[in-house]
Amino acid sequence: MTFSWKRINAIFMKDYKDFSRNLAVSMVIFLPPILAAFIGRMGAASIESYYMIINMAFGMVASYVQSCLIAEEKEKNTLRGLMLSPATTTEILTGKTLLSFVLTIVTILLSIVLAGYNPANIAIIAVAIILSTFFYLGLGTLLGLYAKSVMEASVLVLPVMIIFSFGTMIIALVEQYPILKAATYLPNIQLLEIAAKVEAGIGFGDIWLHLAIIAAWAVASFATAVVIYRKRMVD
Amino acid sequence: MENIIEVKNLEKIFANQTALESVDFQVKRGEVFGFLGPSGSGKTTTIKILTGQLLPTNGEAFVFGESVEKLKQSSYRKRFGVLTDNSGLYVRLSIYDNLKLYCDLYDVSYTKIDEVLAAVNLQEDQKKRISTLSKGMTQRVTLARALLHEPELLFLDEPTSALDPVNTLHIYEGLRALNKKGTTIFLTTHDMQEADTLCDRIAFLNKGRIQLLDTPNKLKKKYSDSTITVELKNEEKIVLPAGAEGAQQLYDYMQSNQVETIHSNEPTLGDIFVQVTGRKLA
Repeated sequence: MTFSWKRINAIFMKDYKDFSRNLAVSMVIFLPPILAAFIGRMGAASIESYYMIINMAFGMVASYVQSCLIAEEKEKNTLRGLMLSPATTTEILTGKTLLSFVLTIVTILLSIVLAGYNPANIAIIAVAIILSTFFYLGLGTLLGLYAKSVMEASVLVLPVMIIFSFGTMIIALVEQYPILKAATYLPNIQLLEIAAKVEAGIGFGDIWLHLAIIAAWAVASFATAVVIYRKRMVD
Repeated sequence: MENIIEVKNLEKIFANQTALESVDFQVKRGEVFGFLGPSGSGKTTTIKILTGQLLPTNGEAFVFGESVEKLKQSSYRKRFGVLTDNSGLYVRLSIYDNLKLYCDLYDVSYTKIDEVLAAVNLQEDQKKRISTLSKGMTQRVTLARALLHEPELLFLDEPTSALDPVNTLHIYEGLRALNKKGTTIFLTTHDMQEADTLCDRIAFLNKGRIQLLDTPNKLKKKYSDSTITVELKNEEKIVLPAGAEGAQQLYDYMQSNQVETIHSNEPTLGDIFVQVTGRKLA
């Protein structure tokens, strides 16, 4: 299997130029930092509020931007051009994911700084955020491949944004509705649990299972995206 | 000569509609092969199957001696180029940026961009965004992109459908030059003049079936009624039959110095298509 950084970089640079001229989509990356700045100024921020912003960044940047980038390639028939080129599935999906990855990390970093969040263990939180980013990028890719247009992708991604941005509220309902216990395995809830444990001074030994669950979500979302992508190569 | 494309008993059915039926043909390396037919006759379906974008329902298709299934491999995709009817260009990027991306994807030097833009008469416009171009200019950029890596085999789906006559001639020159360098061209069109000008051999496709396949000259001879039209100086036009009788009449007109022009009555490819299929090309 070939793996060419030149091709990946070419797709990344193309996406960067294209995205910077697409205000309709690029504007959303400013929303999480703006909200983070408000929360930071209010002075009564909690772990839940920090992670509401971080999960919102995942939904709006990793999933929404990624799904729009892929859906637009489909809508304008440019994805077929990439598929017919010598670039492999890995090169195309890596190239197409790189911009959303960079934007997500930068948006989250900026939001964390503006909200005034200082994690007790930066390394564990960084690993958890990067793993979560991969899950949301996979999900965005999947939605983009499923949607026929940018408009459709924008609609499909809405439930994702709602569930994962405000899904942490599910925890409060678990005791009342035991069926919601399954939802505690969602990556956003796992991330929140990691954050709470990190603040309580718990080390990597008691956190790895949460990281593994998020990693499993990330692998599952990308594996499904690759399968759907390969199906889309043939009409 | 080696076959670069070989199609055997190809069939494609969409839902309940047959798009291709018992299609057989070969394309020799180095030739310009025309696939002619009206809209909906199965031309684009054939290109999609031959480039691995669509699976046939039945039959076999080989490109470069390998089953089209293998065209999914990166190494094979370097060897062919495709110009489709929908541009597939990034509209917010410039012509140059679009071509630069494909230089990187095909591992081609950026110096090639100037060369292909000259071939499609767009050198002066390379900084223009695709969104600002006319349909004809966009089509020329798409063609430039397909020429960028000098493929062994080039699939062209209606390459000049949106072009003005001057640019059409310019594109023909470019395609002939590319063909001289060794690129095999598979051209679909419903423009009979284009097929006659460019193609070594042509196939008439109608309702998913190949009706005729030969060189344009042989087809025209085969369907010619062998008559000639003589235009006299008094503007009268006379159709003379083939053979001794026609020759004698022509001799008489020439002897009496009445002849203005003489034309052989060869049918056009369009006439032949209508005669064979009963349909008009549109």
